[in-house]
Amino acid sequence: MNGTLIVLFLVCLSAVPLIADDISEIRAMTKEKVDAVIRTLKDNSLSKKEKKEGILKTIDGLFDFSLMARLSLGKKHWKALSKAQRKEFSELFVKRLKESYLDKLDLYTDEEIVVDEAKLTKKNRVEVLTYLVSKEDKKEMIYKLYKSKKKEWMVYDVDILGVSIVQTYRSQFSGILKKESMEQLMERLRSTGELGS
Amino acid sequence: MPKNNPAIITFIAILYISLLPMMGFYAFAQENAPASSEAVPEVEVAADTDEEEEGFDDEFEDEFGAAEKEVFDPLSGYNRVMTDFNDSLYVWVLDPVARGYRWVLPYAARRGVKNFFHNLLFPLRFVNNALQLKIKNAGEEFLRFSINSTIGILGFWDPAKEWFDLEAHEEDFGQTLGYYGVGGGFHVVLPFLGPSNVRDMFSLYPDMQMDPVNYVENRPYNFPKQEGEYQGVSKQTLQEVDLTLLKIINRESLRIGQYANLKKDAIELYPFLRDVYEQNRAKLIKE
Repeated sequence: MNGTLIVLFLVCLSAVPLIADDISEIRAMTKEKVDAVIRTLKDNSLSKKEKKEGILKTIDGLFDFSLMARLSLGKKHWKALSKAQRKEFSELFVKRLKESYLDKLDLYTDEEIVVDEAKLTKKNRVEVLTYLVSKEDKKEMIYKLYKSKKKEWMVYDVDILGVSIVQTYRSQFSGILKKESMEQLMERLRSTGELGS
Repeated sequence: MPKNNPAIITFIAILYISLLPMMGFYAFAQENAPASSEAVPEVEVAADTDEEEEGFDDEFEDEFGAAEKEVFDPLSGYNRVMTDFNDSLYVWVLDPVARGYRWVLPYAARRGVKNFFHNLLFPLRFVNNALQLKIKNAGEEFLRFSINSTIGILGFWDPAKEWFDLEAHEEDFGQTLGYYGVGGGFHVVLPFLGPSNVRDMFSLYPDMQMDPVNYVENRPYNFPKQEGEYQGVSKQTLQEVDLTLLKIINRESLRIGQYANLKKDAIELYPFLRDVYEQNRAKLIKE
């Protein structure tokens, strides 16, 4: 009886670090990238353009932008596109996403980004909880990562205060595509900044 | 206990340890092997796309598929118009006023005003935390109010957070209803107040009853009662409007640029703001 217990205990002991190591590595990796972005932002020796380039370079290895483009459009609409359309959609969308991210950083003043815990949500999914802490408040941001086929962990979505970027784009795209053609949607993406309601 | 017990334990332990690498390998192999049922269509898909990650879309479909569901939105026509109205009001009136206000008042003062109004909303947070049986949070709110109203000089300062590490726990009546399973109902864009839904709209009434900014007879706390009229409007109403305007302008002066920034992710403003509101509320209720 005792023996079984000890064995069970051993099983638990050996299983936990295996997962935990992986997760803490992902947490460390995310933290490193986030810190690098903040360092670049705070580096006053860089011009605005250099900052943007540096930041994009840092996050390119963390975000799977082309996956985000596909997820945002959704399987159904993506499958209906031709190869050329897919390419153009991805390019337009990723450009938009990057610009929106960089614009958000323009508001950066003295906030601190605290990387909290990382947790395994599925076999190949990890969520890293972070907080954007300013003097005013504390905003919760969750980076959602998956394990790509190349065995790299990459971000496929970000939740800001519970609002998922991919989900928000996806419901917008699906709403627009109910009444407009794909070509019209592309046109909207091409003319960034033009808003309809 | 039989004598040979330690021997058995040792044996099992050795067996287990020697099996470990194999188990690790098994887990590794399992992780890499595609599920057999998915394997066939995946190859077909890969044939007509250049991206090798294509097969992954299936796994994500569950996660985001719900976003494509048609939203029950009977007021969408009105909502769109009201969204445009609120948007223009923000861009052409509130934003410039808040910028001017920011230019006049130093940051510390604006932050003090924000803290003051926030502290006044203690009854709202306390009651709704209690209604949701979040006893610890309600207790912390009570402590925060006691500390900030006294040491924090009428709430202008927030020593509860800075010294005692007590964070506010925002809860309103809409969240309480949501906590007990009341759905949001369809989306309603309110004039001036912005995105809301049926549940949150009706919750505004109890919320306003608890806000000291609005005068409520027979309530133990109130701003001084104003008698008489000014140009045909009761002074009481004027005081409420003044305080509310101050509160709003002060709040916006502390987050200038954020709305404009948020809007950049919108392709169509109304559905975007609706989605952002509903996702955010769902999260607040879940907490």
